[in-house]
Amino acid sequence: MGFMDKLKGAFGKPPAKEVAKKRLQLILKYDRAGLPPNAVEAVKEAILKALEEFPFIDTSGVNIHITESENTKGKIEIEVPVKNG
Amino acid sequence: MADKVICITSGKGGVGKSTVTANVATALAMKGYKVVAIDADIGLRNLDLVLGLENRIVYDIVHVVEGVVPPEKALVKDKRTKNLYLLPAAQTKDKSAVKPEDLVKIVEELRDKFDFIFIDSPAGIEEGFKTAVTPADTIIVVANPEMASIRDADRVVGLCEAMQKPEPKLVINRLDPKKVARGDMLDVEDVLQVLNLDLLGVVPEDKNMVSYINRGEPAVLFEESIAGKELRNIAERLLGKDVPIPRWTYSESFLDKLKKLFGSE
Repeated sequence: MGFMDKLKGAFGKPPAKEVAKKRLQLILKYDRAGLPPNAVEAVKEAILKALEEFPFIDTSGVNIHITESENTKGKIEIEVPVKNG
Repeated sequence: MADKVICITSGKGGVGKSTVTANVATALAMKGYKVVAIDADIGLRNLDLVLGLENRIVYDIVHVVEGVVPPEKALVKDKRTKNLYLLPAAQTKDKSAVKPEDLVKIVEELRDKFDFIFIDSPAGIEEGFKTAVTPADTIIVVANPEMASIRDADRVVGLCEAMQKPEPKLVINRLDPKKVARGDMLDVEDVLQVLNLDLLGVVPEDKNMVSYINRGEPAVLFEESIAGKELRNIAERLLGKDVPIPRWTYSESFLDKLKKLFGSE
């Protein structure tokens, strides 16, 4: 590795440990919920498609995320906002 | 004592379960406690090697399960440390040879005769792991500060919870302060933020560990071993002593940084 690469490495990229921590936090969120990593995106896409036919729904504001659950491994929560006016 | 039967597990293999087991068991025996270490890794026994006892094995845990000998007769007395005994795994059978109820029975028979019973779990999360964890009052999860090990440790924690076992305590093993200082390796706080467990110890990378294992001499026997020192402290913490846990924050000198920048390292 040349001097310039080292400089770039020192100032450009975030430290490897920060990348590792972020990746682990994401991986464990899905592992704990028992979901494959792309599940939320896939569910969101399917739901957005289904919601398209309802004009009173603001599809741009649909919010979907995993949360912890008392009774099951995990829970997917979906917020579906109704359009104003 | 609530922490009498202690299972050491990890999910991922090769993170130092047997090393931690052998060293903490030795450290407690050196302090005068009567200790037995059970190798529950049937078919892949290794704890005997770390203790240097491989040539002294006559009977193993499967002989005990089959009723060939009582548990006490299968115990191998440690050659250096008084009060330390090993119940070896079988090398020829597989995990199905010892069921959870078999290990529970063996532990019950040994319980009154020992101050501490360590169970060295096999890697993985299958039946061998479940057998090793079942009799335990306390579970220690060993993890290296790296991605796969931490992910697997989290799986193990989830499985222990499903088995209604107490939440495992965490030993971080092979933390390299230099790599942490460079920002290459997860530090203690990073690991705790991700795993959120009670921390029992942080064992640093020790370049002499390979030679201790090659010689069959646990690191805790050597005053000069940096890993051995923290492994002795883990034993103290199991006894309820409040020994501060090192964070191993190594601050790189200005010269180190310059050297790195100019490529002389």
